[in-house]
Amino acid sequence: MAPILALEQVCKQYPGVVALDHVDFTLDKGEVRALLGKNGAGKSTLVKILSGAVHPDSGEIRIDGNPVTIDSPSDAFHQGICTVYQEMSLVPGLTVAENILLGRWPRQRILGLSVIDRKAIRPIAKAALDQLEVSLNLDEEVSRLSVAQQQLIEIAKAISFNPRVLVLDEPTSALASGEVEVLHKVVRRLAEQGHAIIYVTHRLQEIPNVADTVTVLRDGRQIGTITAGEATPAVIANMMIGADWRRTEWGAGGQPGEVKLAVRNLNREGLLHDVSFEVRGGEVLGIAGLLGSGRTELVRAIFGLDKLDGGEICVKGEVISNPSPITMKAHGIGLTPEDRKRQGLVLIFSVQDNLTQASLSRFSVQGILQRARGAGLARDMVRSLDIKTPSLGVLTNTLSGGNQQKVVVGNWLNTLPEILLMDEPTRGIDIQAKEQIFHLVRDLASQGLAVVFISSEIEEVLDVADRILIMNQGRVTGEVKPSEIGLEKLLARVMEEPAS
Amino acid sequence: MTTQVAEAKGKPAWSSRARDVFARSGLLFGLLILFVLLWQFAPNFATSRNLFNVLRAIAINGMIACAMTFVIISGDIDVSVGSAVAWSSSLLGVLAIKQHWPLIAAVAFVLAGGTIIHSLAGWIRVKWSIPAFVVTLAMYMSYKGLAKVITHAYPITPFPDSFSVWGQGYILKIIPVPAVLMLITVGIFYFLSTRTVFGRSVYSVGGNEEASRLSGIPVGRTRITIFAISGFMAALGGVIMSSRIMAGAYNVGEGLEFEVIAAVVIGGTSLAGGSGSMIGTFLGVLFMGLLSNGMTLMGVDPYWQEVARGLILLFAVLISVWQKPIRK
Repeated sequence: MAPILALEQVCKQYPGVVALDHVDFTLDKGEVRALLGKNGAGKSTLVKILSGAVHPDSGEIRIDGNPVTIDSPSDAFHQGICTVYQEMSLVPGLTVAENILLGRWPRQRILGLSVIDRKAIRPIAKAALDQLEVSLNLDEEVSRLSVAQQQLIEIAKAISFNPRVLVLDEPTSALASGEVEVLHKVVRRLAEQGHAIIYVTHRLQEIPNVADTVTVLRDGRQIGTITAGEATPAVIANMMIGADWRRTEWGAGGQPGEVKLAVRNLNREGLLHDVSFEVRGGEVLGIAGLLGSGRTELVRAIFGLDKLDGGEICVKGEVISNPSPITMKAHGIGLTPEDRKRQGLVLIFSVQDNLTQASLSRFSVQGILQRARGAGLARDMVRSLDIKTPSLGVLTNTLSGGNQQKVVVGNWLNTLPEILLMDEPTRGIDIQAKEQIFHLVRDLASQGLAVVFISSEIEEVLDVADRILIMNQGRVTGEVKPSEIGLEKLLARVMEEPAS
Repeated sequence: MTTQVAEAKGKPAWSSRARDVFARSGLLFGLLILFVLLWQFAPNFATSRNLFNVLRAIAINGMIACAMTFVIISGDIDVSVGSAVAWSSSLLGVLAIKQHWPLIAAVAFVLAGGTIIHSLAGWIRVKWSIPAFVVTLAMYMSYKGLAKVITHAYPITPFPDSFSVWGQGYILKIIPVPAVLMLITVGIFYFLSTRTVFGRSVYSVGGNEEASRLSGIPVGRTRITIFAISGFMAALGGVIMSSRIMAGAYNVGEGLEFEVIAAVVIGGTSLAGGSGSMIGTFLGVLFMGLLSNGMTLMGVDPYWQEVARGLILLFAVLISVWQKPIRK
């Protein structure tokens, strides 16, 4: 019997990147396949090809042994492939039933007008929910439901098309652990009913509960497909990483100085649990953790952006009782946020204005700006960070991602910080710019700054940090020295379930 | 656009805001054309007396428009200023005439009161993240009602004769006092917007509130201060209005809020927040003032004048949209 879905030698190239490199992939009826890989490994490209959002450059897709082309998302539905994305596509103001049939509501004619047939909606929606064996009030407004319930409605919506293949793109990334179990049950049930399911995830611990088989992608290539039973963290980490990576030797760093930042027992309901650590001057502390591990929540809490439920933040020996960005800045802490466009920059401001946003007090007297001094600060920073910009006056949204990131960092360096929290400073920037950011981080440390460095790329953390904190589900699950742990071991530790 | 880029390269220290002035050259050009047209076709337009009259006519709107520019740059809106003018004028009449307060004390009270009430509204807006439109709409309605409550919907007269100088007086027998007050206001606001930490914060908060907060800019305090300034300028507008008509009147300032917003928008300030300039606003107010004056001199029916002003507003915004590439 031919597999339900087969991809043969599928390639997809983007300018400068090979996203998928001759990928073979088959999926049988009733099979749940976990799809794993680091960022940029090709998972999302594969999902996009199956959902009709992008087209492969070459290769063949077969459904039930028949070659098909998937031209568009609606075409994918007709071929029997439904994709449920991470981002919700529900309309909050409509009911459960209306959302399940969104856009294809049954009509009836009243007085010559085409009107939605409210009565006909419910049985179709109910059938979809029954298939999932979940009970939800069909007339409830979606905005009143939990994220997990909304996730189930997304799946019910997909199931109502009666697809052969269901693609779930990181369905559990926003769910709490109890809700994850419900979702796993639903997935297993759908598999028993004969649906084939592709389950994209980066949570290793859910594989035994939900998947039959695991496929790992790396650099656009299919590295291997194994059974769920074989998929131990060590095996998966080995498949995800490969052998061609080596840690950069930065040479002997300066001796770590005094403790600049110490946090003790930070707690935030559901997000952070008893997090404690210290960073010294001249030291780069890396935080390794998956998305949702609490790494961003941790630095945000330290910087006073989110309220804490307990714990102590101590800067240079002084306990900060009521942290806010303003007080933390005054104590010499800076935060370069993970989303530079939304949180780091005023994109419609000039490069000069963005480079001096946080340091207005440095070049103002009695609230009056000394513009020549401001321009001087910006000019020096453009030079020392090697920011590629035609002038200080151009709007920041015209710069490349890497240069925008340097502007974000430069904005904080202009405040002369002693502690710099860097959340994903290398996200979405090219390799050369990444290298420059790494060098910058090392330079800053050698100048005596205490740096906290977060990255989704575990290699980067291992590369740049003097010490690594491992975070998982809001807890610190370990602290390691980069020189004493290999990449595979670190990745396996990052993916492991904390012993709670 | 090419000149803009050249300017930016030639003077790297120039900020994006300074370049906005160049973007405003379109408005300057329109103003020039309008002026020439009216000079040719409107009888008695190009006399110094008439032109000074225009300046006097736009003075109150111009002063309030300066504050409105800050409000709009910060991404907010204030639709209460017209009613605030009516309330301030009424309150001044009640205190100075009915209650026999010394005039100076009544004026001080009105100005302080307007500032404080608007600050409070700003605080509510910040504290509960209520859209400024809703907060100021509520104020618009309440102010309007309060003005009628305290005046029983009758104008209150008479103020002492000497009070008329602020609204009707002349310097050197030709320059209207309110025009001078407006020019001073524009100067102060220009300085605030381009040279101070506060001004920078206003642009920043409107340009990206989240990034501003993360940069340690006091977002809430900035917004409340902007509201306070708006309240102060509206109250001052009410005082000058009272002096101009020599009465405390509940029915002044009707529709003023939208005239002011229109002038600010014509002046190139973006309702999306983050960009705009005081010079642009001044030119916008001047443009609308000259247009009204010219149309009146040419004997255009006042109702049609309103239609014309509306169409010009739409046209001006369309031009600014066509000029700029659409930003994502």
